[in-house]
Amino acid sequence: MSSVVPTAAVSTAAPTAASRGLLGCECCGLVSEVIKAAGTPRCPRCGFALHARKPQSLQRTTAYLLAAAVLYLPANTLPIMATASAIAGRESHTILGGIIELWQTGSWDLALVVFVASIAVPILKIAALTLLVFTARRQSRWRQVERTTLYRVLETVGHWSMLDVFVVVLLVGMVRFGAFASVEPGPGLLAFGGVVVLTMLASASFDPRLIWPEFSIDD
Amino acid sequence: MPVVKAATRRVLAGMGLVDRRAGVHAHPELVACEECDAVYTRRPLSAGELARCPRCAAVLGRGHLLAVDGQLALTSGALVVFVLGNVSDIVTLDLRGVHTQVTLWESIWFTWLSGQEVVALLAGATAFAFPLAVILLRLYVLTPLVAGRRVRGFVPAMRALRWVTRWSMVEVFLFGTLVAIVKIAGMANVVPGVGIFSFGVLTLLLAANQAAGLHGIWQQASALPP
Repeated sequence: MSSVVPTAAVSTAAPTAASRGLLGCECCGLVSEVIKAAGTPRCPRCGFALHARKPQSLQRTTAYLLAAAVLYLPANTLPIMATASAIAGRESHTILGGIIELWQTGSWDLALVVFVASIAVPILKIAALTLLVFTARRQSRWRQVERTTLYRVLETVGHWSMLDVFVVVLLVGMVRFGAFASVEPGPGLLAFGGVVVLTMLASASFDPRLIWPEFSIDD
Repeated sequence: MPVVKAATRRVLAGMGLVDRRAGVHAHPELVACEECDAVYTRRPLSAGELARCPRCAAVLGRGHLLAVDGQLALTSGALVVFVLGNVSDIVTLDLRGVHTQVTLWESIWFTWLSGQEVVALLAGATAFAFPLAVILLRLYVLTPLVAGRRVRGFVPAMRALRWVTRWSMVEVFLFGTLVAIVKIAGMANVVPGVGIFSFGVLTLLLAANQAAGLHGIWQQASALPP
């Protein structure tokens, strides 16, 4: 079978799946109707647990967010790497310090990219998810389309914050000239990697369908 | 389903061994928006066409530019450049006549040795293990699919694929190498190696593959006997 099987498209608008007793599978996308449930119903195609909304979505997102916010401080204040060289001696570098250094050596464009990936994205992600959790908890109907778009953007850009982790790991591998010059990773890098992983887990735990409470069923 | 006593069935269900799909009816003619839960009827999409939810603008589906055989070709190419990228040097450094070369693996290894084992594991997983798993799982699923068969273990393979795709970060790693090169360019002479170009091609191939998404593979395979 080599013909293309198109996926999906819109024809007639309808209410939500949950309000019609239908559940969309979060794994494979198949829509199912639960006739008789024995425990958590499973998707007939892929076996993934079906639920109208991700279970304990807001609680789990909040927990990951708090952990990420706590780690954000050491991630930015502790050195992410230390350089040692025969000329300059031993120096510690924080994330912000590295960006300033890039800026001063003339690579303003890269400085901007690293600033966005390492400083702006993590803090905006924590702030945006906090807003999403807060409004979802209040069942707010404020700017629902924009909030859904915001969530989509967070999911897309989230993993780019890992940039600085890779930069340091590569510098550690590249700069190995013994007494001349060497680079060592610092404790801030671990905290920073933790922030990236925790914010990714937080946005994965959030269920964007909670932005549209008026169409849901009461559990 | 064989006759099982109710109590036994409950115990087995707790262990995930009994079909909890009983009593669940599939509606393959419908699609539910993943972001706002609106329900629509499916209709065929032409190649390159994008269907968006009118309420929240999330992508409901896209007409595949690439059939499964095209996706398989891309994945095979990805495996070749992945191997190349991992055995080749990413860069060569020259500091007053002293040369060092570095591969992805050496970088991870030296990070491990310097006492940041968790960071080394994180980098190794997201830049090496997960991308490799993405490629191998895609090959495993797509190769029989092109021949019109559904591979044994299709469902767990697809579920694993969804997970590893999320945590695979080749493109971020590629950009990281560029930033690292600029950072040390003032200190030593840097020559880009085969590795960095391989990772560049790998990024493009994986991105082209991921644009198609996994729902199309699910649909195509569900029409086939297990």
